[in-house]
Amino acid sequence: MAIAAHNIDFDAIEARERAAQKKNWPTFILALLVSMIWVVPFYYMVVSIFKTHAEYAANNPLSLPEGLSPFFDNAISAWNTAKMGAGFANSALYGFVGAGLAVFFAAMAAYGLTRISFKRQNFWFMLIFAGTIFPFQIYLIPLFFAYQKIGIINTHFGMLLFYTAVCIPFPVLVLRNYLNGLSREMDEAARMDGASEFRVFWSIILPNCIGPMTATFLLQFTWIWNDLLFSTVLGNREEVRSIMNSLQIFHGSYSTAGPNLTLTAALIASLPAIVLFLLLRRHFMEGMRVSGV
Amino acid sequence: MNFKTKLLSLAFAGFMSASVVSVYAAEVTLVHDKPFWGEALQKVVDAATKSIGETMKQNAYSPPEQFKAYMQSSIAANDPPDIFTWWTGGVYEELIKSGQIAELDDIWAEMIKSGEFSEGVRDFYKVGDHIYGVPLHLSRWVVLYNKANYTKVGISEPKTWAEFLSNAEKLKAAGITPFVATTQDGWRGFIWFEEIMLRTNPEAYMGLHSGKIAYDSEPVRNAFKIWVDWYAKGYFTDPRSTEEVADFAKNKGSMNLIGDWAVGLVEKAGMKPGTDFGAFIMPNMDAALPSSAILEGSPIMLSKKGLAKPEVVKALKYFVSVEGANVWATASGNGLGNSKANPPNDVVNKINQDVAAMKTVSYPRWWEAVPADLQGEIVAELNRFMLSPTMETAESVMATTQKLNAAYWADKQ
Amino acid sequence: MVKYIDRESDAQLMQRIGWHQVKAVEDRAMRRNFWKAFAFMAPALFLVCGLLLMPVVYNIYFSFTKWKKFAGLDEFAGFSNYAKLPGNPYFDEAFYNTAIWVAASVVFPLAIGFGLAVFLRAVPFGNMFKNIIFLPRILAPTAVAVIWFHVYAPHGVINSLLAMVVGRPVDIGWLYQDNTVTPAIIATFVWQSVGLVMVLVLLGLSAIPKDPLEAARIDGATNGQVFRHIVMPLLMPTLVVVTILSVLSGFTTFDLLWVMGVGYPGQRTLSLAVYMYFESFQKGSWAFGSAIAVVIGIVVFSVTWIQTLMQSRVDKMTR
Repeated sequence: MAIAAHNIDFDAIEARERAAQKKNWPTFILALLVSMIWVVPFYYMVVSIFKTHAEYAANNPLSLPEGLSPFFDNAISAWNTAKMGAGFANSALYGFVGAGLAVFFAAMAAYGLTRISFKRQNFWFMLIFAGTIFPFQIYLIPLFFAYQKIGIINTHFGMLLFYTAVCIPFPVLVLRNYLNGLSREMDEAARMDGASEFRVFWSIILPNCIGPMTATFLLQFTWIWNDLLFSTVLGNREEVRSIMNSLQIFHGSYSTAGPNLTLTAALIASLPAIVLFLLLRRHFMEGMRVSGV
Repeated sequence: MNFKTKLLSLAFAGFMSASVVSVYAAEVTLVHDKPFWGEALQKVVDAATKSIGETMKQNAYSPPEQFKAYMQSSIAANDPPDIFTWWTGGVYEELIKSGQIAELDDIWAEMIKSGEFSEGVRDFYKVGDHIYGVPLHLSRWVVLYNKANYTKVGISEPKTWAEFLSNAEKLKAAGITPFVATTQDGWRGFIWFEEIMLRTNPEAYMGLHSGKIAYDSEPVRNAFKIWVDWYAKGYFTDPRSTEEVADFAKNKGSMNLIGDWAVGLVEKAGMKPGTDFGAFIMPNMDAALPSSAILEGSPIMLSKKGLAKPEVVKALKYFVSVEGANVWATASGNGLGNSKANPPNDVVNKINQDVAAMKTVSYPRWWEAVPADLQGEIVAELNRFMLSPTMETAESVMATTQKLNAAYWADKQ
Repeated sequence: MVKYIDRESDAQLMQRIGWHQVKAVEDRAMRRNFWKAFAFMAPALFLVCGLLLMPVVYNIYFSFTKWKKFAGLDEFAGFSNYAKLPGNPYFDEAFYNTAIWVAASVVFPLAIGFGLAVFLRAVPFGNMFKNIIFLPRILAPTAVAVIWFHVYAPHGVINSLLAMVVGRPVDIGWLYQDNTVTPAIIATFVWQSVGLVMVLVLLGLSAIPKDPLEAARIDGATNGQVFRHIVMPLLMPTLVVVTILSVLSGFTTFDLLWVMGVGYPGQRTLSLAVYMYFESFQKGSWAFGSAIAVVIGIVVFSVTWIQTLMQSRVDKMTR
């Protein structure tokens, strides 16, 4: 007996959950203690960004800050020295354009794979999906030298090209499964009315895929935002660096700046992910579910 | 659908516009891997822009292995940067062997004729019959010391090895840790190793680099014994600190063995050169040997393509001119060997005078002299020693290091 | 094919009903369709083949050359790069550490995540705890590594907490000592990834329809039996996929180790992925680095293949 995975009703689940939670205070206390393991590092980060370097070095790392004002100095210092502005802009560009294009191309490919019948569909699908089965290390050296040769190393275009390519296979998997479960009545009707394949794709299939497309877009955007390795190898020039690359360089080469600055930089770099998560929690959960199925 | 269309057209526009890379502008870009000098270099390139009339920029790569990889791959693609910084030693020769590096003999002839540079400095950058680099900075490795502590304990700059040791003992007795030494940034493990080797047995020190002396031979063991002894006496600060300059500036330790390029950094951290801290060259154990000091001089190099561009040559000449050297000295506290330029600060000035007076002999730094392939692994072993400075660790470090060393030289036969 | 009583052969039958003509028309349509589909798949295909599949071929090719620093790409090295691997102390250490890392990064998040999921189901305000524990999952490994680097620092959070417990200053260099560095980084990894397993298990548990559970309970099944025979099989597919993904990401973990291991002298042996980076980009041994990458690929393949075999076996068992 398999779970009918598409049809999970989140509201009903939440209602059932709430009903199932009894007023069980001992377990609550225990849960509180256990969750401290997750709270303390965040508390530590929040507390440290309000300290000056001297203050941090002189006191217990978990102590409360003496005032709130050092935060602005820390933020400005971290922003400038770590070049977070460029990192932010670059990662945003790579994330939106790269993930966006990847999901769109994936939708096209999934449409081709499911809505048009031709021989050996599975072979072509496996070809695209093969992009995910290799460890990243195997791409590093060839791409590094190929990019250098073609002249796209350390360019925005080069980074976009890679990020788009690497974010295609997974959405293809998800969308292909999703489209297979989507009824074909509407597009059959449209075809009989004389619509071209592209018209069917654009006007009928695409609007129905917004759900999984958004979920996979969020996942891939997060992946690109969090990337360190490929930005270091393929786009290490200051103007082209991703934000995590800038953060790592700040942490490694500017350690004399002090933990308060480095933690501020880490917080700044993480803000978009946190904000996105809080706003779009349901889509994230859907993405997680979709990746686990 | 409107939203989707907008989004897609935006994405496409972004993609297309990002692909228009700004390719050819008549600008000169100095490529380097020293982001901690980013501000200072920016001042120099700004001044250079005014002087040569072409825009000059500086571009920092980090970490150093990414910079090295970028250089290697750009050489492989026959497209090295026009002007860039590098290191002397094994990696210098490797780069030159690629055949894409420019010979700077003519530029050097001018530099010597003007009286600004000596032939000694020129020969530092010679490989075979030609010169391939000009100095980005020329720094000697000295012991910075906290003058207030010295006065408090009643000691002065040591002229002999015995005095150096007794100074440390007196500081320790007064509750002040004598030496600041860390493994920050992963490369510093060799600093005290090379200095102790140089002071106890300079011939063996040089023998290490040519494979004649083994890393587990007696001279090395003696150096480690001294090092272990000093750690046992509590002479060193916590090696795990990630803030060596700050540790010295905040008086966590009284002395800091470092290149004189650090004077500018210590100044930024709050101590005034000359008044708050000074420097001396560590004395040799054997007083009969001539005064010696480790010399470090990262070069600026040009690719052959760069040499062909007049604006690049102008930029290079500006760098080594009196004016350029002065801007650099003020911005970073570094000198580059131009005898007509201002000394960057009192401390470096005093060291230069000491060197002239004592006729100090220059020795290459371990970092450049060690074969490039062994550099990363051996320095990691030395770091390992500093984190656990016992004789047991020292024996293990010596054994591992010699294994690597022997394998390297055996391969070379 | 239906056989007529007069034993007409298949070939004759097909000839009679014009099967070949129909098939020819269908084939033409399929081929036309193929090109239509190809148009849709083209961008994805070109990008994936060009940037993800071709590099694999090149990487394998490089590993058979003598490429180092600036030269040697055109010299054939046979298997010498691979032969150099097994005895190499750095490679052995990295391989061993990677094995430990992968095992720990699969087992601990699964076990702890599962436990947390079951535990938090019956806790008031469980949603709040869920979100707190899940939040690290959306942070970048780099940011998490930077935070935890300072948590583990000699003047950091762990040491001061221990000092409070023990009563005197504690000065352990967690990320600097051989015996504590890997457990410390594993702990950080578990801290970050437990949330995902927990959420997936919770979703799975909530999605189980109530009827079979109630039916089982009416029949007198204990909680343990219900768990073992109904809940676990339903959760199996999710757990197996999570395991496979964890293995793949365990072999390629780089960010956490590179950022947190920055002060550790043996950093290059923390995992095969880090070792490959150091060999290629720090020492310029491109061919050797390519060989390491190929070895990583082979190991990942083997483990994933074994897991997929086991998964189909498990699937058959639970059907």
